[in-house]
Amino acid sequence: MSRMTPLDASAITDPELVELLGECEELGVPDPVFVRIFARSADQIKPMLRAMLVSHRDGSVDHKLKEIIRIQLARFVDDPYFSNLRSKKAIAEGLTEEMIEIGCEDYEDSDLFSEREKVALRFAEQLFLDSTKVDKIFYDEMHKHWSDAEIMEIGSFAALFHGIHMVMKTYNARPLEAA
Amino acid sequence: MRYVETLSTDPDSFSDEDWADLRRYLSEEEIVELGMFLFMNLGFHTFFGTLKFYPMFSPDGRLVSQEESERLYGDKPESLQGEAAE
Repeated sequence: MSRMTPLDASAITDPELVELLGECEELGVPDPVFVRIFARSADQIKPMLRAMLVSHRDGSVDHKLKEIIRIQLARFVDDPYFSNLRSKKAIAEGLTEEMIEIGCEDYEDSDLFSEREKVALRFAEQLFLDSTKVDKIFYDEMHKHWSDAEIMEIGSFAALFHGIHMVMKTYNARPLEAA
Repeated sequence: MRYVETLSTDPDSFSDEDWADLRRYLSEEEIVELGMFLFMNLGFHTFFGTLKFYPMFSPDGRLVSQEESERLYGDKPESLQGEAAE
């Protein structure tokens, strides 16, 4: 059972937050449960939701790859909320549960992913498993496949969502609908 | 501070008792505010740590190169502000 009860939907009246809630519902990540929990501090959650949407939905890195990274990181910390959410945009673009499972577990030997995608999955994984392995040699390998801007996009996305997963794990929340 | 420490070092150990302890002293609004502050801090420090960059300014306020900043700050995660004030 969630330790933090979501506010009633009728409690969200701030027009800007209502608009952001709509964007979140359209993407599917986060879902209204997250927004209704953090709406207790409306002024703080609005910039946070914007950052989450821009980091995950927008940018130049493939959204499907970022969605796999997000689920991979949520599983690392056993966050039942974010590991069960799915991006509607990523699914519409062709992301399948098989790709998610392999991307989170056995991507190194899979033909489903290019070397470029594998190095990004390895990057996000190592950042939070053993960041000492993300050294100059690792970044040199990253640079063979990704630009500086793309590395910053992937790293910032992974860092932001890792922090969110850690906090949400302590709330023991669940999505409105399981994946 | 105990909440932040547990989250950073052993999140799996966080229990209902820990949650009750947090609720005893902080309102729900304060807990979510603290949570959102942690969103921006828990992961970014790890990521930035791998990039090996250093502050632009020395403890006494001089603009310094990354090489000099590395020599000044090294790998120790502690403030040198106190030394600058002495």
